[in-house]
Amino acid sequence: MTSLWLAPVPARHFHRPIYFSLVILTTLFTMSLLSVAIQDDGISTLELVLLILYAILMLWISASFWTAAIGFVRLMRQRLRGDRAAAPPRALDAGAFKTALVMPVYNEDPERVFAGLRAMYASLEETGEQAGFELFILSDTRDPDIWIQEEMLWRRWIEDLGEPARLFYRNRVENTARKSGNLADFCRDWGGRYRYMIVLDADSIMSGETLVEMVRRMEADSQLALLQVPPVPVNRSSFFARMLQFAGSLYGRMFAAGLSFWQQDTANFWGHNAILRVRPFADHCGLPKLPGSEPFGGDILSHDFVEAALLARAGWKVQLAHDLGGSYEEIPPTLIDYAKRDRRWCQGNLQHARLILAHRFKTLSRIHFAMGVMSYAASPLWLLFLIATGVEAYLKSLRVPVYFFGHNVVPIWPESYVVEMTTVLWVTLIILFLPKILALVLLAVDRDEARRFGGLRGASLSVLIESLLSVLLAPVLMLFQSKFVAAILLRTTVGWPSQQRGDHQTGFVEAVGAHGIHTLIAVVTGYAAYVYVPDFFWWFTPVLAGLALSIPVSILTSRTSLGVWAKGAGLFLTPAETEEPRVLKQLEEKLADPLPLACASTAAQPLWTAAMKEPCIYALHDSLLHDEPQSRRRRHILEGLIFQLQDEGADLLSLREKRALLSHREGLYLLHTRLWAASDPVAQTPRTG
Amino acid sequence: MGEGVSDLLAELEILSPASAPVPFDRVELERRARRYLSALGVRAEDERLALSQVVLKRVELRIVVGQLGDPLEAAIEETHLLLDQWLVAELDLDGDSDALSAARAAVLGGDVAGWTRRWAGLSQASLAQTIRAARVSAVPERAPLVMDANPIELCCHRSGPRLLARVGRLLGIRGKSARSNS
Repeated sequence: MTSLWLAPVPARHFHRPIYFSLVILTTLFTMSLLSVAIQDDGISTLELVLLILYAILMLWISASFWTAAIGFVRLMRQRLRGDRAAAPPRALDAGAFKTALVMPVYNEDPERVFAGLRAMYASLEETGEQAGFELFILSDTRDPDIWIQEEMLWRRWIEDLGEPARLFYRNRVENTARKSGNLADFCRDWGGRYRYMIVLDADSIMSGETLVEMVRRMEADSQLALLQVPPVPVNRSSFFARMLQFAGSLYGRMFAAGLSFWQQDTANFWGHNAILRVRPFADHCGLPKLPGSEPFGGDILSHDFVEAALLARAGWKVQLAHDLGGSYEEIPPTLIDYAKRDRRWCQGNLQHARLILAHRFKTLSRIHFAMGVMSYAASPLWLLFLIATGVEAYLKSLRVPVYFFGHNVVPIWPESYVVEMTTVLWVTLIILFLPKILALVLLAVDRDEARRFGGLRGASLSVLIESLLSVLLAPVLMLFQSKFVAAILLRTTVGWPSQQRGDHQTGFVEAVGAHGIHTLIAVVTGYAAYVYVPDFFWWFTPVLAGLALSIPVSILTSRTSLGVWAKGAGLFLTPAETEEPRVLKQLEEKLADPLPLACASTAAQPLWTAAMKEPCIYALHDSLLHDEPQSRRRRHILEGLIFQLQDEGADLLSLREKRALLSHREGLYLLHTRLWAASDPVAQTPRTG
Repeated sequence: MGEGVSDLLAELEILSPASAPVPFDRVELERRARRYLSALGVRAEDERLALSQVVLKRVELRIVVGQLGDPLEAAIEETHLLLDQWLVAELDLDGDSDALSAARAAVLGGDVAGWTRRWAGLSQASLAQTIRAARVSAVPERAPLVMDANPIELCCHRSGPRLLARVGRLLGIRGKSARSNS
């Protein structure tokens, strides 16, 4: 027993206490400053609200700050120690097990999807370990044209590869439970074939070396069920996206190093660019529907956090591989697209509020849920904080100072709290901006790394511009996210639109539609503040400026020409641009040389009609469907749709109806024969717009 | 009563025998069959001729048994059926519709050289091996795992309504359930 007490405690046991102590102490310190400043004559209800809001927000930003600061220390120590010679990697035993590379897709651009997969496969071939991997395209695509295009590209790639057994494709009949349901169905049907699966997003790119290393790490630790490799944003050209790519590349690695310090074996799943041990995933990650109706009940939308929590609950390790590179993703090209993506994610994250106190989850999983909620709830809280501050400033401005009390002949000067308030402000600003400076310090001690970011001077200028623009963009995102949170609280559900991934630019009309209200709010609030609380107005100007300039900022930052110009000027350069990784070059090559579609040219007709008529495409599509039990009712419905198609043309069919026509062998055969039996097959091709 | 209706509806699916021979244009029928054969990839004239003659004979047989329907549609159906029957015979398939469908996709996808000649009966060389090799399976053999939903016990998710109901009872207000039970 004594020896147990004397045994040294591994340093990793102190990681979490250190981190959380720092976060809490920082919050308490800033809270104490603020409370001294505001409770000069007792504390009013409004001041109490202000203090509570500030405490929550300070917890949130100091958690982020200390993650970055710890990440900085870890990376700095790593730099100072230098790279240790790594042991030569062991080859994988391809015969012993297989790893599935799974890419769930939903109405994505098939050319980009296949170019990405081809690039990854080419990179995997360069490692010589491709025999242990199989690719699975898990399509939930509902758009009939995209569906057929996916099939034709898959078929063509199979022909090119000459290794049909390594590339699979399936389109789900029903896209139940969206992406998590897609993955679950994969496990139910083929999970027993694989020891691991690497989950990709439609815009994921991972190098072959990284894929192999992920498998190696899983093999090295039989208790590890999930290993997340942080993806670095790449490949977009707009000013907005290049700025985010720069920030993601420069600050992201620091945050990742900090996260892995305190998350340890209870890290999180980010939904893609991660490897999972299939059997425990199947055993523990089947997601239930939450009781109640959407938006808080029903299917779990942001499934990744929950799956990580379920694995941790079952005693498996979930880790973040902050030291692994070769993991990339693409991001929305414009501010408006970014906000749209937030709209989709917001509902899923807010749904996690119900899970924070659910039974049997680990404490750290609960913290992940809470952080997920806060990543969106922080915006309305900041908004409330600003409003409360404005009201408090207004109320204070109404008070007339009283200099003489009772029989005192000496005036009593009101106590000044300028020092405390200024300290609060400075501490807040340091917490927000110091990580950016720390990232530059890391560059300053590593010349090679600095060169990859365009040199220390270029990187510093980029950080300065990025910080200024962040100040302008933050209030806009705050209003967007507050609106989303309000809409969700008012029980408005989100759809499941596919993402806008390619570069495109924001037009004036689109910008006015999205930001007109922001500008109006800036004008009205600015006027009111200037007239009624002029002192507050000047403090408020950064927020007002961001909102007032939102239309031109949104338009200008969406410009690819500006992004390209910035690149030429050495701004926002990232290692992925200055030393383009091989796998990204391969992606470019594959995009420039897309796969031709299988089967002969289909002239100008849409692919879904070609699938009914062109024998080659028809046969290919038919071979990917399955026989179903005969049903008179279904036959009548299909015949009805076929008559509708023949009589009224394809334009009057909904996407769902078109899909129904393509989904059953029986209906497809009827259509095929009827189209060919029509008097002039060319003229009888269903009319389309 | 239900059965009676079902019987009536079932009758709708039974093709009624033609009361009189269905007139059809043999030239147009052959032209359509040849065009369809061409679209399937049968380019050589002798192959098209051989196959279209078989198709015409089969359509004529359908007239005899009174199951013609639309003659042109019948011609397309018979061509399709002819291809399927050849594939079944060539590959010795036994009712596996997925295997047949994959074989059809392989030959129509242009992966099997000389298949049209063999189909038309103008070649003796078996293509079974080539077709089997060209067949592509979109998915591997099933290797299922059980993946049931794991329960997540939410905290306090019914406490709100329960609390309201309790307050209601304290105030003497009876809830819906109380009314419906009484």
